[in-house]
Amino acid sequence: MGIAAVAFIGPQNNPLYLRSMDPSPSDDQYMKLHYVVHCALDAVEEKVLLKRGPSDSQDAYLGLLYPTEDYRVYGYLTNSHVKIILLFDDEGTIKNEMVLRVFRRLHALYVDTASNPFHSFGLPIRSGRFEAQLEGIVAVAPKPGASLGGFMT
Amino acid sequence: MFHEKQSGPAAAAALEAVGYRVGQQLAERYTRDKPRLGDALEIIKFVCKDFWQALFKKQVDNLKTNHRGVYVLQDNGFRWLQRLSAPPPGSDPAREEAARQLALSYLHLPAGIVRGALCHLGVSCTVEPDPKQLPSCTFTVRVM
Repeated sequence: MGIAAVAFIGPQNNPLYLRSMDPSPSDDQYMKLHYVVHCALDAVEEKVLLKRGPSDSQDAYLGLLYPTEDYRVYGYLTNSHVKIILLFDDEGTIKNEMVLRVFRRLHALYVDTASNPFHSFGLPIRSGRFEAQLEGIVAVAPKPGASLGGFMT
Repeated sequence: MFHEKQSGPAAAAALEAVGYRVGQQLAERYTRDKPRLGDALEIIKFVCKDFWQALFKKQVDNLKTNHRGVYVLQDNGFRWLQRLSAPPPGSDPAREEAARQLALSYLHLPAGIVRGALCHLGVSCTVEPDPKQLPSCTFTVRVM
């Protein structure tokens, strides 16, 4: 179990950020990630429509969106319609609480980044600080064999 | 002349734009730990209650709507107008109008903030401030 990729998608389904946690991802892999995340957007919309019940309160955390051959795709939708998509490797068990914790921290990180006066809404996120902190958050669930948060002896 | 330059339409638009951006960022922050808001009315209610509380340390006193996309937010003691002295009651209308115009220039920024927050949460709208009788004022939200 480990996080394979993180994606932030804007309100108009415009990609804000996509990051593979592979140390040296190929172009093909990036295309594949884009594809998986793109499919996830349909699943997000579906979940939102299904949850439009009269009484149930709507949580930002959408849970497992769909499993693919290689990944399990989890989604989170903020009040400003920013979607956060997490791709987990399809190995071992994934605890919901852990996923939720990662999402909450990613959301907090996004809020902090958006508060930067030099951030522009709707444009891709370019911030060294954002990247560094994201790596720290993702290192909670490191991908086996990845160098993030690892300790070389 | 100088006063016109300082508070003409260009300055008002600039203040509104600054407010818009601030509103976007504040909305992002204040909705962080809230469950997802549903329709436009729920978003407006959030702005009236939590958002107003955070910005102006009180809630909106009265919210009226015609259910067709117009919402009137009335604040009977708007914090940012509290220190402006109102003309005494019964003074001549010209003087009251002058005070109104003067107060209006202090409302471009909050109107921008409200509009920024609403737009960022998914309600694209225009916001028109109106200081009726200091320190009370209304914000008319028209959903587009």
